[in-house]
Amino acid sequence: MKSPLVASIRLLIRDWRGGELGVLFSALLLAVSVVVAISGFVNRLQFNLERESASFLAADLVVSSSNPIPSPWIDQASAVGLAQGETITFSSMVISAEDEMFLASVKAVGGAYPLRGALSVDKGLAQASTAIPEPGTVFLAPRLVQQLSARIGHEVYVGDATLIVAGTLLSEPDSTTGFFGYGPRLVMNAANLDETGVVQPGSRVTYRLLVAGESDDLTRFREWVEPQLVQGQRLSSVDESQPGIGATLERARGFLLLAGSLGVMLAAAAILVAARRFGERHTDQVAVMKSLGATRGTIRQLYALSLTWLGLLSIVLGSGIGWLAQSAMFNALADQLPSEITRIGFAPYITGAVTALVCIGFFAWPPLARLGGVSPLRVIRREETIADATRSVDLVLGTASLGLLMLWYSSDWKLTGALIGSIAITVGLGFLVAQTLLKGSRQVGSSAGSVWRLALAGMQRRGTSSAFQVVIFGIAIMLLLVLTAVRTSLLDQWRLQIPEGTPNHFILNVAPADESSLLTFFAERDIEVGELYPAARGRVMAVNGQPLPDWDRFEDGARQREANFTSTDMAPEGNKIVSGSWWEPGTEKSLVSLEDGFAEDIGVKVGDTLTLRIAADEFSVEVASIREVNWESMQPNFFVIFPDRLLERFPNTLFTSFYLEPNEKHRVGELLDFMPTLTIIELDVAIQEIKTIIDQVSQAIELVLLVILVAGALVLIAGVSSSVDERLHESAILRALGAGRGTLLGAVAIEFAAMGSLAGILAILGSEAAGWVLQTQMLDLQYQIQWVLWPMGVALGALIIGSLGTYACRRVVSVPPLQVLREL
Amino acid sequence: MIKTSQLIKRVSTAESELEILRGIDLEIKRGETAAIVGASGSGKSTLLGLLAGLDAPSSGEITLDGINIVNLDEDERAILRSEKVGFVFQNFQLLPALTALENVMLPLELAGIDDAREKSEEFLARVGLGERFHHYPRTLSGGEQQRVAIARAFASRPLILFADEPTGNLDTTTGATVVDLLFGLNQEEGTTLVLVTHDNGLADRCQRKFTMTAGHLEEAS
Ligand SMILES: Nc1ncnc2c1ncn2[C@@H]1O[C@H](COP(=O)(O)OP(=O)(O)O)[C@@H](O)[C@H]1O
Ligand SMILES: [Mg+2]
Repeated sequence: MKSPLVASIRLLIRDWRGGELGVLFSALLLAVSVVVAISGFVNRLQFNLERESASFLAADLVVSSSNPIPSPWIDQASAVGLAQGETITFSSMVISAEDEMFLASVKAVGGAYPLRGALSVDKGLAQASTAIPEPGTVFLAPRLVQQLSARIGHEVYVGDATLIVAGTLLSEPDSTTGFFGYGPRLVMNAANLDETGVVQPGSRVTYRLLVAGESDDLTRFREWVEPQLVQGQRLSSVDESQPGIGATLERARGFLLLAGSLGVMLAAAAILVAARRFGERHTDQVAVMKSLGATRGTIRQLYALSLTWLGLLSIVLGSGIGWLAQSAMFNALADQLPSEITRIGFAPYITGAVTALVCIGFFAWPPLARLGGVSPLRVIRREETIADATRSVDLVLGTASLGLLMLWYSSDWKLTGALIGSIAITVGLGFLVAQTLLKGSRQVGSSAGSVWRLALAGMQRRGTSSAFQVVIFGIAIMLLLVLTAVRTSLLDQWRLQIPEGTPNHFILNVAPADESSLLTFFAERDIEVGELYPAARGRVMAVNGQPLPDWDRFEDGARQREANFTSTDMAPEGNKIVSGSWWEPGTEKSLVSLEDGFAEDIGVKVGDTLTLRIAADEFSVEVASIREVNWESMQPNFFVIFPDRLLERFPNTLFTSFYLEPNEKHRVGELLDFMPTLTIIELDVAIQEIKTIIDQVSQAIELVLLVILVAGALVLIAGVSSSVDERLHESAILRALGAGRGTLLGAVAIEFAAMGSLAGILAILGSEAAGWVLQTQMLDLQYQIQWVLWPMGVALGALIIGSLGTYACRRVVSVPPLQVLREL
Repeated sequence: MIKTSQLIKRVSTAESELEILRGIDLEIKRGETAAIVGASGSGKSTLLGLLAGLDAPSSGEITLDGINIVNLDEDERAILRSEKVGFVFQNFQLLPALTALENVMLPLELAGIDDAREKSEEFLARVGLGERFHHYPRTLSGGEQQRVAIARAFASRPLILFADEPTGNLDTTTGATVVDLLFGLNQEEGTTLVLVTHDNGLADRCQRKFTMTAGHLEEAS
C-alpha cells in the first residue's frame, strides 16, 4: 500500500462508521480515564491530607533540640529551598499587672511559623486573626486569660520582659506536640526571647526548627541532617509524631492504590474482550483483503497503525475525561477539604498513557496481530481458520505485563502479587470449571425441556468463548468484591478507631485525697469520667545492674529514660502481650510490663531486671511481659505498668480522663477553679482533627469505589455484548424455523444466568484469596471469610449477568429475522 | 497464461485423508474464457483457489503468466494477486463497513495505485451504478452487490479474472445482466476469464468448457 499512514486512518474512519470500533475505543478510553482520574484524585487528595495532617506539626518536618538549632542547618534548609520557622518552648511563671501568677507553657515563635495550619486568635474583632504576635505582644490561652484576669491591652511579665496582651489564643496547629506539656499556652514573638532572660544554659527549653516544602527537597534536607543529629536532637514528620494519622493516611493510600490498580485491570479486561470481538468481526474483511492482494505485512501494518491512532486518540481524550472526573470527585469533597488549589501534575497523564500503551500492546494487539494470518481461502470456504481465540502465550504475556504495570503503579509487590495471583486462580479455575460444566451440560440438556436444551446447547456450542466470558465476568465481579470488602473493613476499622465519646480531656496530678470530691464534681454535672489510675513520674536507671548512660531530656538511644508509670492488675484493653505473661491480680511480686518500643530502646527482654527510681526511691523489678500498644487509639497508653501493690508504696498522684461535648468546654475552667492544682490536657481539637481526616478519606473511598463500580459495569457490558452478534444470527435462524420469542429469550436468560452464577463462584473464590492477602498483609486489617457473600455472589452474578445479557440480546427477538439474516 | 501439471490437493480430516484434486492438467491462453462445471463438492472451488494462489497444492505445478506460483510464499502470492488477479465470488464478499465506491477502491489502494478514486468511479459507472457510489452493501440488492464486486474485480485491470459461481446467488434475470457485464468488460479489457458455474447457458458462452468429476478435470469438446 502506498501510504499506509493515510490508509490506516481511512480504515479507522470506515470502521468507526461501521460501528465496530466503538467497544474497543470505549474500553481504551475507559482505561485511560479511570487511571488518570484515580491517580490524579489520589495525588491531590494525598497532597491535601498531608498538608492537613502536617498542621499537627505546623510543618512538614521538625528538628527539635535541647540546644539552639545550629545555624548551618538553617542555611541548609534555605539552600534546598524549604520554608522555615522556629519555636522555642519552655515553662515559665507569667505574672499579670495585678500580681496574679500562673505557670504557663510558653512558646516563642518566629520565622514563617506556622508553615502548615494556622493560629486562630480572638482580638475582639469580628474575624479571628491568624497572624503570629507582633514583637512585644503575646496571645494567651483562655484559661490563662481567666487565671491572670488579663485582657487585651494589659501588660504581662514573662521573666524580665514586659509584653502586651494582643489576643486570646483559640487554637494553634501544633498544640499536641508533647503529651505532658504543663500549663496553658502563652504565645510570644521569638524577637522578645532574649529580653525575658528566662532561657539560660541548662534550663529546660525545646528549640524546634520547622521546615516545609516539596517532598524531594524535604528528603534531601532529611538525609543531610539525619547523620548530624546528636543526643537530645531529633527529627520528626507527621507519620512519626502522630501515629494515628500516619496509619490512617497509610491505609487510605493503600486503598486508593488498590482501587487504581483494579481500575487498570478492569480496563485491561474490557480491552481484551473488545479486541477479541474486533478481531473476530474483522476476520472476513481481512480474508477479502488478502484475496485482493494484501500481504500479511500490509494487514499487520494497517491494524498496527489503526491501533496506534486509536491509542493516541484515547490517550488525549481519556486524559481530558480523567481530568474532568477527578475534579468532579474532588469538588464533591470540596467543602471537607481545605480550599487550597492543587494541580494534579503530569504524573497521572503519564500513568494513563503508559497504561494505554501496555493495554494496547498486550491486550488489544495480539488478537489483531493474528488477523495477518487469516487464510484468504476463507472467501471460498467460510469454515477456514478464523482468527483463533486467545492463546496461552498471550495470556501469560498479558498477565505479566499487567503485573509489571501494577507494580510500577503501586510500587507494592504484595498488592500486585495478591491481585495477579487471584486473577490467575479465577482464570485457571474458570477455564477448568467452565469447560467441564459446559461439557457435562450436554447430557442434562438433552433430557431437559426445550428452553433449557436450547440454552445449554448454546453455551456448549460457544464452548471456549463461553468459558472466556465466564472468566471475564468472574474477574470483574471478583475485583469489585475485593474492593467492596476491603472498603468495608477499612471503614469499620476507622469507625472503631475513635468511637463516639472517646475521652478528649485528661486530668493529671489528682491528689489521692481529692478523689471523692473530684468524682462528686463530675457527678453533679452529669459528665462521665473514666477510672482513676495511679501515676508516678519515674526513671529507668539500670538494666541487669548495668547503669544506663545519663538521662537527657530527649528520649532516644539506650540511656536512662523517664516515663509515666502506672499500675493495674488487669492487662489494659487493646494491648497485646507479645512476650512473657500478665501477672496474677493481687500479686506481691516486683514485676513490670513494658511497651515493646520502650523495651527495645533500653535493650531489655522478659526476665531482665530493671532498676527504677521514683522521686528519691530506687527499687528493682523483673520484666514480666512486653506489650504491643495501639497508639492509634486515642486512649491513654503507658510505657511502664506495675502491679497495683507495688506502686502503692510510692508517692503517687492519680490521673483520669473524661469526655466533653464541644458546647461544654467551659467545664474545664470550672474544674480548674475548683481544683487549681490539676493539670488538664485538652485533646479535643486533636481528636476532632483526626475525625475530620477520617471522614474525608472515608468519603473519598466511597467515591473511588463508585468509579470502579462503573468501570466494572462497563466490563460486564462489553463481555455480554461480545457474543451478541453470534446469538443474533443464530436466533434469527431459529426464529425463521419457528421458535417463539419466549423460548428464545428464556434460553438467552438461562444461558447468561448460568454463566453469571458460575462467574459468581469464581469471583468469590478469587476474592477470598485476594482479600486475605490484602487485608492481612497490606492494610493490616483483620480478615474474616465473608460467608454471606457466597450465596449473594452466586445469586447476584446470575441476576446481573442474566439481566444484562437478556437486555443486550433483546434485539434477538425484536428485530425481524429477515433483517438480521440480511445484515450478516 | 495459466498452466498446471499433475495438480494434486489433499486434506486430512479427522477420520481420513481426502484427495480433492487428483492430478489436474490444464492450459488456458491469454484472453481466453473458460468455464468449469461439475457437481457440488467435486472440487471446482478448490481448483479455483489454487489457481488464484489462495492456497498451496499438495503437489504439482501452477504457472500464472510465466511465474511458477507453487514456489512463492503466501506474501509473494498476495502481491501477485494484487498485480494480476481479480475475483468475483458467489456471495459477493463486499466489506459491509465500506461504501460501494470504497469497496471498489480497496484493491487499487492495496496495489498502491494513485488515481484509485477516479478509476473506481469509472468502473462503477460502467457497471451502471454511477448513482450509488456512497451506498453501503446492505442497502443494495444482490444483483447490485455483484455488480459492485465486478467493478472491484476489473478496476485493478487484472490479467486474469476468477469467478466462483458469480450467478449462484442471483435469480435468472439478474444473473443474466451480471453475466452480460462480465463478458462485456472481459472483452473490452482483454482479460483471461476462468469461471465456475452450474449454469450450462453461462458455460456455453465461454470459449472453452471443462467438467470436474470427483477431482478429475476433462475438457468438453
Ligand atoms: N480444507 C478442507 N478440509 C476438508 N474438506 C475439504 C477442504 N476443502 C475442501 N474440502 C472438501 O472437498 C470437496 C470439494 O470442495 P469444493 O472445491 O468446495 O467443491 P465445489 O466447489 O466443487 O462444490 C468438498 O467435499 C469439500 O467439503
Ligand atoms: Mg464451490
